[in-house]
Amino acid sequence: MIYLDNGATTYPKPCSVSESVMNALRFTAGSPGRGGHSQTIKAGETVYRTREIIAEMFSCESENVIFTDNCTTSLNTAIKGVCKKGDRVLTSSLEHNSVLRPLEKLREKGIISFGIFRVSPQNDEETLEGIRSLMSLKPKAIVCTFASNVFGTVLPIERIGRLCRESDVIFIVDGAQAAGSIKIDMKKMNIDILCLPGHKGLYGPMGTGLMLLSGRVMPEELTQGGTGSYSMDEKQPHSVPDRYESGTLNFPGIAGLYSGVRFIRSCGGEDAVHGKEMELIDILESDLSAVRHIRLYPEMKSALRSPILSFNVDGFHSEEVSSLLDKCGVAVRAGYHCAKLAHESYGTSEIGCVRVTPGFFNTKKDIKNFVFYCNKIAMRQKI
Amino acid sequence: MTYTYIKFESQTQGEKARSLLNKNNIKSHLRRNPNPDRKQGCNFALFVDGNVWKAYEIITVADIKSSGVETYRERL
Repeated sequence: MIYLDNGATTYPKPCSVSESVMNALRFTAGSPGRGGHSQTIKAGETVYRTREIIAEMFSCESENVIFTDNCTTSLNTAIKGVCKKGDRVLTSSLEHNSVLRPLEKLREKGIISFGIFRVSPQNDEETLEGIRSLMSLKPKAIVCTFASNVFGTVLPIERIGRLCRESDVIFIVDGAQAAGSIKIDMKKMNIDILCLPGHKGLYGPMGTGLMLLSGRVMPEELTQGGTGSYSMDEKQPHSVPDRYESGTLNFPGIAGLYSGVRFIRSCGGEDAVHGKEMELIDILESDLSAVRHIRLYPEMKSALRSPILSFNVDGFHSEEVSSLLDKCGVAVRAGYHCAKLAHESYGTSEIGCVRVTPGFFNTKKDIKNFVFYCNKIAMRQKI
Repeated sequence: MTYTYIKFESQTQGEKARSLLNKNNIKSHLRRNPNPDRKQGCNFALFVDGNVWKAYEIITVADIKSSGVETYRERL
């Protein structure tokens, strides 16, 4: 199989990740943060070590690293925990439904209103101008993606963050398609809440997500329950991370996530990972652009991109192309990628597009073989 | 045997303190507090190898939230 769907989840995972998950299941008998026997303390140590390594990676305090089920849960907590009746929110034209739907739900309930600023892929100044013009609405928060999950377009996050800080606006960022391959510095970028999946660029297992807090903003928690602390108080504790982590943590997942982050470090960090993945994207882009009947997106490139390339083949629905590629043993993601706004922005609402997302383990040979199959499809040759 | 330890409301804060002390070459280990205050419920105790007050000072200066230093006499 040629796996080019790392934007959905990275595969394969490093061996150290599966070993850590397996070891957690086989040899750790305790629930972290609960009880006092040595096994539970040991599990808690692993959980803390994971908080620490993630805090270092994204520049926040270790106790502000909150474990969740996935990035969507993190975004729901951030958005619904911050927004109050009558608030206004700004979001971008490239959002995933994990941002758009919670916002829409709050709007439907009459709690908030929100405006959408257009992202100009080649012109950050134009994007920022669009945001500035909407600032007159006095938004409470800006919620946006770091990079489009369909086209790889990277938003000028640092500049948006500065704008937010100057205007005292809360800045919530969906880092799903950037974390692990593009350096995200919460302090430098003035990000108040950063939401991340553990199983994509961080190479952890599915079922792991993160909500990282700068400490400037504490959203209301959406779930209450046992935290292993303040047990005789019927009220949910206010201390972090306990406030947001009711119920048993996904310990095997967190142990795997620790090894995933260590793996990125061992590869040389985000820049090295990005460099390798972009090298493959460049080959892909160059080879596919030479194939007749293939249309590449984005036609307008941003200076910094997430390692994503999308395309369509003339006369085919994107799902049909994906299905044909699957027959050749190639895994890509077609359709609409849970991103209505992004497809509307790029004019691909009708047939979606085929998204190719190489990962650290892909090779140039994978890309060459992939292009070979695409060529056959485009030429309508039997495969 | 009598123990003096630093008390924490959560394992996260206790581990944060332990990590900081480790960076200062002070060894310590975290356990569930064997003598919790009924009003507060479950909490954690950091046992320090060496001067507990010096460790407490390092933790306090670093703004790590603890619930102070406590002494406990083991009964068995």
